[in-house]
Amino acid sequence: MITLIFMSVTILIREVKSHVNDDLLFFNNYIVSFIFFIEYILRLWVSSSVTKIIIEQSEHDIMIGDKFNLFKALKDIFAVKMKYILSVKAMIDLLAIIPFFHQLRLLRIFILFRVFKLFRYAKSIQTFTSVVASKKFEFFTLLIFASIIIFVSSVLIYVMEANNPDSAINTLFEAVYWSIVTISTVGFGDITPVSQEGRVVAMFVIVAGIGVFSFTTSLIVTSFTEKLDEIKDTKMIDDISKLEEFYLICGYENVAKEVAKKLSENNKVIILEEDYHKAEQAKKDGFVSLNYDPGSVESYKKLRINLETQVKAILCLSHSDVENVYTALTVRSFNKEVFILSILINKMNRNKLNFAGVNELFYEKELVGIIAKDFVGHPVAFEAIHALRSSYNGIDVEEIVVSDRILENFAMVGELENIKYRVVLLGIYKKSKKRFFFNPIDSTLLETGDYLLVIGNTQLVKEFTKYLQKKGSKK
Amino acid sequence: MKTNALIFGLNEYTVEIEKNISADFENVHIFNLADEGENSFDLSDNWDDLSSQIDMQESVAFCILEDMAENIFLTISLRDTFKELTIVALAKDKESADKLTLAGATRALPTTQTTANIIVEMLEKPIVTEVLHDILYEKSALKIAQIKIEDHTVFDGKYPADIEWSRDHGIIVISVVHEDMSGEFIYSAKAKHHLIKSGDIFVVVGYEQDIKDFEKLIGNRCE
Repeated sequence: MITLIFMSVTILIREVKSHVNDDLLFFNNYIVSFIFFIEYILRLWVSSSVTKIIIEQSEHDIMIGDKFNLFKALKDIFAVKMKYILSVKAMIDLLAIIPFFHQLRLLRIFILFRVFKLFRYAKSIQTFTSVVASKKFEFFTLLIFASIIIFVSSVLIYVMEANNPDSAINTLFEAVYWSIVTISTVGFGDITPVSQEGRVVAMFVIVAGIGVFSFTTSLIVTSFTEKLDEIKDTKMIDDISKLEEFYLICGYENVAKEVAKKLSENNKVIILEEDYHKAEQAKKDGFVSLNYDPGSVESYKKLRINLETQVKAILCLSHSDVENVYTALTVRSFNKEVFILSILINKMNRNKLNFAGVNELFYEKELVGIIAKDFVGHPVAFEAIHALRSSYNGIDVEEIVVSDRILENFAMVGELENIKYRVVLLGIYKKSKKRFFFNPIDSTLLETGDYLLVIGNTQLVKEFTKYLQKKGSKK
Repeated sequence: MKTNALIFGLNEYTVEIEKNISADFENVHIFNLADEGENSFDLSDNWDDLSSQIDMQESVAFCILEDMAENIFLTISLRDTFKELTIVALAKDKESADKLTLAGATRALPTTQTTANIIVEMLEKPIVTEVLHDILYEKSALKIAQIKIEDHTVFDGKYPADIEWSRDHGIIVISVVHEDMSGEFIYSAKAKHHLIKSGDIFVVVGYEQDIKDFEKLIGNRCE
């Protein structure tokens, strides 16, 4: 659409002094106009829901026991559609179609209205408009002030100069023109006051002009500063809505900070934090953070995300069970599927969090108890597993999913060549049997969806994974 | 296995630790930080009463005071008096854990980091988490063991990476701990150039029977 708009304007400019190919004119007058016409009709159609109005009217009539009043429904539909037609945006759209009636040559200038349609497509222009609109009252006051100055100075300069034969000001229009040029601090110099009195008026207008100019500038700057956070949030939300997959962390406290740091190594992480300072801290720590209440449905609506397809898991990591229960219930109120994980601060609240729909609970004190037991009960296993878990000396335990691509070239365990990559194959988790097979024999068949559990240097494991994928793709 | 567990500090962690370790120790003693009263202790360096009642050689101490400064002081105090005591200390974060290690704790557990690690692991590597969990809690028949080489002639002149452990012995060797107690991953560059000799310790994963057979072959298990 933006391309079409620019093509239209280019053809209009070219047409002023040169001959334009008839096909191009046809394209500009008919095809482009027709496309805009279709767009206008579609926008008119979707501007309000006809069905909704009819259903509402029907429900209303049933409730009060009357017969369905179709006329009233049609009247409401007409009113709503007319309201849209008379809106500024719709008027611009309509005027942009007018060049279709090319017999009226003057109407071709309406092609320029197509440029105004850019407001619909360019986000920055919309942002600018909304910023300016937020200071409507101030701008209106400024306009009244400037109008009074222009009016008074125009009348004064006209009275002072109109009868002076040396003055270029002969009509009231010329006086108004001079006032506007002067008050805007442009000062073309084509019309200048010649009398003493006229020059006094000029000085008065120049001083007022500086005031108007600086007031306008400060107004725009102030409104942008005030709206800056909102603009940034809007941009951030736009970016978030485009993400394919991410973790949503609700709350930004000690555990959340650590989890976010670790998850962000391989994933996108978004943080929702109600407290402004904590949300800002999250931003400073390099995360995408929004100062939204995770316990409000409105926050998720604002985010414009699909919880099922985009969110890998929602992590309720606030250090308050009350807030975590509230967040989990809020999410469950509009989505039953998304995976919710929460920490538990007081074990008395375990049932409440389970009841709120949390899939996985982590109770820090219990974990510590279990770890203490591991340490005293199985010190060897504990140390070995701890070393693997914490990527000690760059050695890591990883899981590689057997994809169709891998399976194309590796049918059996014996073909994997993991030793060549100095990677230990601990075993295979068979998806079909939901069972882990330790140290599988070479003839074990691989299946799509199986997991290979490997231990090795993080970098070498990555290379081994790449090798499995690449070799598969070569075939 | 030691016979006494001494828990210093009375809070929510105490309940969980006591619940989990009670089966592994004959006696679990809980001490509260207070000036007076039964089973209380203060941060002075006088542990005579304690050592007269309990065999400290056969004890594991858990320092779980919530105030980190006090917990570090307690750890230092215990280490200063009992050089051989196994001390497990709780830390709020990595920084406190480092300080506790410097203070002489055998193992410092940073609670925030540990919780975060487990959460991330569960999300990112669910299968690994499940398998390691099963090994650790002996839910599966798999075990992790530490085996010391008594008779290196079996592997005379061989490097760890040259031996097909899984095919020949049915076990997987994860790392080799040398005489100087430095652990090396089986395929690391250092382990690759280290000839197997008596005194080396292998950390192996396998089924109980395979591990026993391997022990018979080369040495004995050390816990």
